[in-house]
Amino acid sequence: MAAVTLTNVIKRFGNFEVVHGANIDVADGEFVVFVGPSGCGKSTLLRMIAGLEDISGGDIAIGGKVMNDVEAADRGIAMVFQSYALYPHMTVEQNLSFGLRMNGNPKADTERRVKRAAEILRIDELMQRRPKQLSGGQRQRVAIGRAIVREPQVFLFDEPLSNLDAELRVQMRVEISRLHKELGVTMIYVTHDQTEAMTLADRIVVLKAGNVEQIGAPLDLYDDPANRFVAGFIGSPKMNFLKANVVETSNSAAIIELVNHGGARLRKPLSEAFPAVGAEVVLGVRPEHFFEAGEGDCDIPVKADVAEHLGSVSYVYANAGPEELIIEREASRQRASGDHFTVSIKAERALLFDKAGARIR
Amino acid sequence: MRTQNATAYRFLTPYLLVFAIFWIWPIISSFLISFQATRTVPWRFAPTFNWGRLVGDPAFYNALKNTLLILVIQVPVMIALAIVMAVLLNSPLLKARGLYRFAFFAPVVVGEVAYSAVFRLMFSLDFGIINKLLESVGLEKIDWFSNVTPAMAVIMIAVTWRWAGYNAIIILAGLQSIPEDVYEAATLDRVSKLKQFFYITLPLLKPVIVFCAVLSIIGTMQLFTEPFLITERGGPGGGTETLGLLLYRQGFRSLNFGYASAVAYTMAGLAIAITLVQLWLTREPK
Ligand SMILES: Nc1ncnc2c1ncn2[C@@H]1O[C@H](COP(=O)(O)OP(=O)(O)OP(=O)(O)O)[C@@H](O)[C@H]1O
Ligand SMILES: [Mg+2]
Repeated sequence: MAAVTLTNVIKRFGNFEVVHGANIDVADGEFVVFVGPSGCGKSTLLRMIAGLEDISGGDIAIGGKVMNDVEAADRGIAMVFQSYALYPHMTVEQNLSFGLRMNGNPKADTERRVKRAAEILRIDELMQRRPKQLSGGQRQRVAIGRAIVREPQVFLFDEPLSNLDAELRVQMRVEISRLHKELGVTMIYVTHDQTEAMTLADRIVVLKAGNVEQIGAPLDLYDDPANRFVAGFIGSPKMNFLKANVVETSNSAAIIELVNHGGARLRKPLSEAFPAVGAEVVLGVRPEHFFEAGEGDCDIPVKADVAEHLGSVSYVYANAGPEELIIEREASRQRASGDHFTVSIKAERALLFDKAGARIR
Repeated sequence: MRTQNATAYRFLTPYLLVFAIFWIWPIISSFLISFQATRTVPWRFAPTFNWGRLVGDPAFYNALKNTLLILVIQVPVMIALAIVMAVLLNSPLLKARGLYRFAFFAPVVVGEVAYSAVFRLMFSLDFGIINKLLESVGLEKIDWFSNVTPAMAVIMIAVTWRWAGYNAIIILAGLQSIPEDVYEAATLDRVSKLKQFFYITLPLLKPVIVFCAVLSIIGTMQLFTEPFLITERGGPGGGTETLGLLLYRQGFRSLNFGYASAVAYTMAGLAIAITLVQLWLTREPK
């Protein structure tokens, strides 16, 4: 088992830099998820850890040993590809044992490892089939099995569930979580699905355009995002962002005016930084943090545009002025489109960001 | 629906008519002719006349031997060469890929007569560049066209030159359909590039290679131009005469259409038989 440490890791394709100095520490046995929008460099980072992609700058260490110039096969990692990358002409059993057989691993040991992997993933029945004859979920299991057979110190997953349907995705998510507990090894998992990140991770690394935006436990990122990007990316439905101006500051708070909501004002206690009077800021409010009129510190009237009732929760898409708000309330259940009603914002349940997106605390 | 079909067939009639007259009928007709004695006027039905002669004809066995010899040496060498060329073409290190692809394919486009003439010239005893090269490295020059073995070699080299690139392009398409991540997975499995080639690339290319082999076998069974033009009608002394050449000699020089038809059907039958054996040997396991 091993920790993975990325120090100032840079990746360039030609002159085009796609990862700009990433610093990430993955502890031994930890489950870390890299999450971010498409093209932000998640796969590139993972492939650099795997040794499938050269490192343009910085160091990658696994188990305390710098791996920059170590062959992929010698890094003690195993990777599960988004497309499964199974050997199409081999049976499941041959797929699992191929690497070991090619390296002259003792036959008995190979058999033992294959058997164990098959048991863990419950694919014993499928051993003589070819990938073509398997469903998506079964293929994914075989791909994971091939990783298990290598008995790696670190598992790398690149969007392993994105080709599965919604139901299977949930099921496999649970399986991967179980696998992590069972094997107790370090896992690094790439996804652009924040739900997967939230449910699987011990810690999440949020990436944007080749930069690490924030690293933290799922709920820490949810409750205390470092910037507007993380706030918007983590959480579903997304956080609402309300444009505001600072109208007054004291030594412990700022009073802001919500520009699109009839000049409603909110006093936001602050402790670290104080924006200038007149500065444009953004107030972030999660859908479930709208309260009934009068319960919070600032009431804003809205008009329900569309109401979605999912059973356990209801969402109201309220088109209040130019800003569409998503509101999740118990009371949303009674709302129908066209309703006018008032919601309330609590200062301690709202986050303040400056114009550039940095958090103001 | 019915009237639609009828209309469709009416439109197809001209084509079907031409197809029947110039394609179907000759096939049937030559089959029938192969059972007739065609050296007498009028032709008469004599089922064993041609086929009986074929079974005992040393010229036929000579042509058959030459054809099969070319087949078993030239086709495997060419396919192997084509695979190597395709792998090189597919290499990410290669610059100006399009140029090479065109260069490899170009021989097919060159006119048969022109290319044969060039090969004759290249291998000519006193003026050929090949002998000049041999002499320049201190080897004896070879009289390519006066002896059977070198003459056969020239034919095989010529056919290989002409068709290897064509097959390489087909195999390249097969190579490019193998996903990159399968190789990455193998790399992580610590499988060397060479083993990846033998355990992943070749098995996955099998259908394409079989396709190329079948095309090449059919082509070589009908080999005609090269022995006709390069080694001057199967010379020296019939040493490079192929079945195609025998057919031509019997049919169009001796005007013995019955015997030529029997040879033609033998060629087709052999091509089909070899292809079936080939397909059976390389069938996908169930
Ligand atoms: N081989 C390459 N050559 C040039 N640019 C590349 C190469 N591979 C990736 N890139 C670029 O690097 C950036 C990051 O790509 P990467 O595949 O890591 O994104 P990602 O976060 O995995 O996205 P996705 O969620 O779509 O898989 C992208 O802008 C991409 O265009
Ligand atoms: Mg990716």
